[in-house]
Amino acid sequence: MHTTCVAEVRSATRTYRSGAALVPALRGASLRVSRGELVALSGPSGSGKSTLLHLIGCLDRPDSGEVRLGDLHVSAMSSAALAAVRRDRLGFVFQSFNLVPVLTAFENVEYPLLLTPTPAAERRRRVNALLDCVGLAGKGDRRPHELSGGERQRVAIARALVNGPQLVLADEPTASLDSATGAAVLDVMEDLRERFGTAFLFASHDPRLVERMDRVITMKDGVTCD
Amino acid sequence: MRLILLALRNAGRNRRRSATVLSLIALGSAALLLAGGYAAATFQGLRENTIRNGVGHLQITGIAGEQDDAPLAAGLDRVDDLRRVVDGDPRVRATAARVDFTGLASTGDRSVAVMGRGIEPDQEYGRAGFAPRMVEGRPLTAGEPHEALVAARLARSLGVRAGDRLTLMTATVDGAINGLDAVVVGIYTTGVRELDDRSVVVRLDTAQALLATSRVSRLVVVLDRTGHTEDVRQALVTRLASAGTPVQVQTWSELAAFYHQVRGLFSGIFAFLGLIIAIVVLLSAANAMSMAVMERVREIGTLMAVGTTRLRIMAMFVVEGLVLGALGGLLGLALGYLLARGLTAARIQMPPPPTFTTGFPLQIEVVPALYAAVLAAMVVTLGVAALLPAARAARLRITDALAHV
Repeated sequence: MHTTCVAEVRSATRTYRSGAALVPALRGASLRVSRGELVALSGPSGSGKSTLLHLIGCLDRPDSGEVRLGDLHVSAMSSAALAAVRRDRLGFVFQSFNLVPVLTAFENVEYPLLLTPTPAAERRRRVNALLDCVGLAGKGDRRPHELSGGERQRVAIARALVNGPQLVLADEPTASLDSATGAAVLDVMEDLRERFGTAFLFASHDPRLVERMDRVITMKDGVTCD
Repeated sequence: MRLILLALRNAGRNRRRSATVLSLIALGSAALLLAGGYAAATFQGLRENTIRNGVGHLQITGIAGEQDDAPLAAGLDRVDDLRRVVDGDPRVRATAARVDFTGLASTGDRSVAVMGRGIEPDQEYGRAGFAPRMVEGRPLTAGEPHEALVAARLARSLGVRAGDRLTLMTATVDGAINGLDAVVVGIYTTGVRELDDRSVVVRLDTAQALLATSRVSRLVVVLDRTGHTEDVRQALVTRLASAGTPVQVQTWSELAAFYHQVRGLFSGIFAFLGLIIAIVVLLSAANAMSMAVMERVREIGTLMAVGTTRLRIMAMFVVEGLVLGALGGLLGLALGYLLARGLTAARIQMPPPPTFTTGFPLQIEVVPALYAAVLAAMVVTLGVAALLPAARAARLRITDALAHV
């Protein structure tokens, strides 16, 4: 089942400058995620989980090494081309949900579709279907501040999936949720993986999340250890 | 459309800040409209005043030879023929012949150098509507013995009043000295100090007798509307040229140097005021937009993460600026309109302008083109004010923006 590779990182390094000091965040990390896989990146703070997620998410570039999304070598792409890759191939779920407060739940989910030439009727159909999938049917007109933490994270998941991405990247998606809500959010993700074949890559400390993964990749000092 | 909707909602996020920016734009716009409306009313008043005070819409004069500096050397002959051609245009309301001269006015014990003018009372006071502002006595009438109107400050210098006699002296067209007694029938004011110091008005036949000529200095043409000036000038030039009359036709604008000086002065003041207001609005709006960017750093990172291009992020903030400019500008137009109407209705008396002797009621014109220009200027100013913060937002590193607290 998990044979098609949706993301691959080979020997990626990334060093940040902190004042006068150079801080190596990745020292040759490698990773491969297949279609429909649930993969967790685990490890202590500062081990490089978020940095690796940023490289795969085309939010940052490696100093050396290679990042591939399906058949695309993204390491050397322009900023505008990377924006198109993020829009068409990737979904993001953040720890603090990161919804746009002036938009309703429906509009937040619809937003990535507005960046594409999708007709209005098709947008409406897809957004409503996803809100239904994540259990928010009838709450599309609510603004984020009118929703609970779990509901907001489900809106964020629907937004991540609305463009039909091959891979969803989630940075600590359950860290701001209580255990019951976190479990419900994971149920939704597992259900969506089954329905759409979407792969999920999580960066998380949460043991309840880690134990439900197909695979866990541990990171230590900027290196991946399967 | 989506960007405008988003901009409107974002403007509502920090209401106090948006209200401050909108108030500033509205007050700035209203100030510009009041200043511009006042300038427009002043230009219009001064223009009509210039025309109605005797310049007329057009003046027809002869063409002087290079060596010819005798009185009325550039005067017009056969005025009746000329008048028939001019009066043939249906837009012409009156044609008034005039003789201008310089000379001395004397009461016997006091003499003052004067600028004299001979006029046709029935044309000037009747059809042309150049009624003098009388201080004492009455205007000139046709067919009476030689009579004169004396300007107020000149009358004071000479010590004459209505009913007194005055001797006018000047050089004739042949170079001889000629004198003539006239009865002062009235004292008048032009409203302009320099003219009130030296002006005397007599009938055309009195001036012609004084200068020993049948010529006139000029034919003043009054039209039904000021807007017809240029068209009628063109028509008259063509018609008079085909009639073989060597004359020149000048518009009120070519003859009214003072009008252009005042207009230049007001335009300069208005441009300076506009610049100051634009700078104040620009700096305040740029500050407000910078704060809006700072407050939404993580949101910008999120939008870029889900595929928004840097150009679109920039467009979002620029559109937000444009929307604020349009809203504030529209508020300013409404405020400016109400203030213009209110202040004009209040008929506040303004002091006399420099060189004038009388004040005037405050009037503020509502000029649609000015309203459109002010609105456009505010929209553009806010767009420019948003550019730098928008560029800063678009340059953010996504990972830094997402980590922003």
